[in-house]
Amino acid sequence: MKTVKSDMSEVLLNVENIAISFGGLVAISDLSFNVHKGEIVSLIGPNGAGKTTAFNIITGFLKPNSGSITYRDKSLTGLAAHQVAKYGVVRTFQKTSVFDGNTVIENIMMGLHLNGRCKVWEVLLGLPRVSIENTRLEERALEILDLVGLSNRASDMASDLAYGELRLLEVAIALAAEPALLLLDEPASGMNPSETASFMKTVSKIRDEGTTILLVEHDMRMVMGISDRVVVLNQGEIIASGTPKEIQNNPKVIHAYLGYGDEDA
Amino acid sequence: MSRWISILWLAFLFSIPLWMIDLYVLHILINTGIFVIAAMSLNLLLGYTGQLSLGHVAFFGIGAYVSALVSLGFDLELTDTYTFVFDAKPVWIAFLSGIIAAGLFGWLIGRVAFKVRGAYFVIVTISFAEVVRLVSLNWIDLTEGPMALNNIQPFTLGIPNLWEMTLYQKIPNYYLVLVVAIVCYILIRRLVHSRIGRAMIGLRENEPLAASVGVNVTHYLVIATVISAAMAGAAGGLYTHYFRIIDPDIFLFIYTVTMVIMVVSGGKGTLAGPIVGGIIFGLLPEILREFAAPEMQWIIYGIAMILIVFFLPDGIVPALKNWWKNHRSKRTDSAEMDAGT
Repeated sequence: MKTVKSDMSEVLLNVENIAISFGGLVAISDLSFNVHKGEIVSLIGPNGAGKTTAFNIITGFLKPNSGSITYRDKSLTGLAAHQVAKYGVVRTFQKTSVFDGNTVIENIMMGLHLNGRCKVWEVLLGLPRVSIENTRLEERALEILDLVGLSNRASDMASDLAYGELRLLEVAIALAAEPALLLLDEPASGMNPSETASFMKTVSKIRDEGTTILLVEHDMRMVMGISDRVVVLNQGEIIASGTPKEIQNNPKVIHAYLGYGDEDA
Repeated sequence: MSRWISILWLAFLFSIPLWMIDLYVLHILINTGIFVIAAMSLNLLLGYTGQLSLGHVAFFGIGAYVSALVSLGFDLELTDTYTFVFDAKPVWIAFLSGIIAAGLFGWLIGRVAFKVRGAYFVIVTISFAEVVRLVSLNWIDLTEGPMALNNIQPFTLGIPNLWEMTLYQKIPNYYLVLVVAIVCYILIRRLVHSRIGRAMIGLRENEPLAASVGVNVTHYLVIATVISAAMAGAAGGLYTHYFRIIDPDIFLFIYTVTMVIMVVSGGKGTLAGPIVGGIIFGLLPEILREFAAPEMQWIIYGIAMILIVFFLPDGIVPALKNWWKNHRSKRTDSAEMDAGT
């Protein structure tokens, strides 16, 4: 297996030998990879390869049976989801996941939770700093909506959004938590080609503003188009890793996706 | 617009004792007001964090009993030789003690129960209320059990030794309940419009997503339970010092059910919902009493409840809001069309 040299030297996330099984089913047998600062790394593989499980482990939704996750020299292993978010590691969900009963801007403001500081007693007393903070958060929310291109829907209910807009809103909620490392779980699934194209631009823009991105995606045009590095998982193991070009020509990857052909034919 | 509505509402509520001479009506309004406060406190949990507490009356009752006992004083035989004597305290201290005690129990339930969600949380809260009821029934040395605590002091306002007023009459009690209700309303409104309230709503709407952006689930649920329990305790304190007698029946399940009906019919997760629902279901039995036989009263009560839940599943307040929104957008649409022709 080739290792790819990256000019981005600082390792942001280091996943080492994690393994997890559910009952008798081994979901991930032994997974190690790392993400450098400023990269877009894609995690790909057939359905059931363990990509979402890896996301759940990194972000504290599942505890691994063994192995460790380090983020900027701090261990994330065993932390709860909200603590992981505090470190600046934020994820989106495979199934569309927003706060349905609220407006778009309220959704973002919920995402801005960690940005606020006011205590319960300050809120109950109605101190002026509470409303100052609220205004600040609202302005910040509008900026984020601007970045993903949803500002015209700010006061609409999230449940009224079109599918493509919902997927953007999810990313916007995650961005509101000010991630240094953003994990996107199949963000383009269900988007049409033109939506995917503009979404790719948004992701690049997010990276250019300093957020490192770990992506799980089935849309190969998107994966090959924006990734710096691709890690291929199959049946809970890494079978290849490298630049998009190397991956496209890797026979193991082709076999994992298409099966073994009749080589004599 | 909504500001004017609330000012008119307040003016109306404050003016009632000026023109309402029937003391029985005032009594009903006080009773309803106490239950509106309890319903508002339940709404913070049920409506905003989405957790159904079916033991809410426990906090109400704890507030009532603690407030009564602190104002009456009590003694406890701890060992054969030592008896703990607690002297009677002024009513306002008793009232605050009731609030604090209810809040503490809220914290306890929050810590214990929020490891579990949904149906399990419901079961924990029901059991809690039942345990508290059994304690109040059987710890006769302290609570007098079924013989009830009576001769409880009414509220006293004013400055000691200078000017004091004891609230024996209906009118001052009405204003007291009204003021406490307004304070609770303002506190809840501040809370739900803040970052803390948004965290609670986030948990109701989508708990994994809320956790993924850094909301500490247990922490905010405990905050909601403590505040909710303390407010229910305040309602219990008002109840105690107004009725001046309490017995273990205060912990009956039916009171929790009444609060849940008030919140759900009015509109859970809205500020006005528990008030509207509380007024309707607080006054309905009294209005029905005028012209219906006792059996009919309960049947009509039940039918009203079913109709509301069936036709307005989100509650009265959200239904009215929707109606108003559609009405307005229709009007602007037709205005635009008129302008176009």
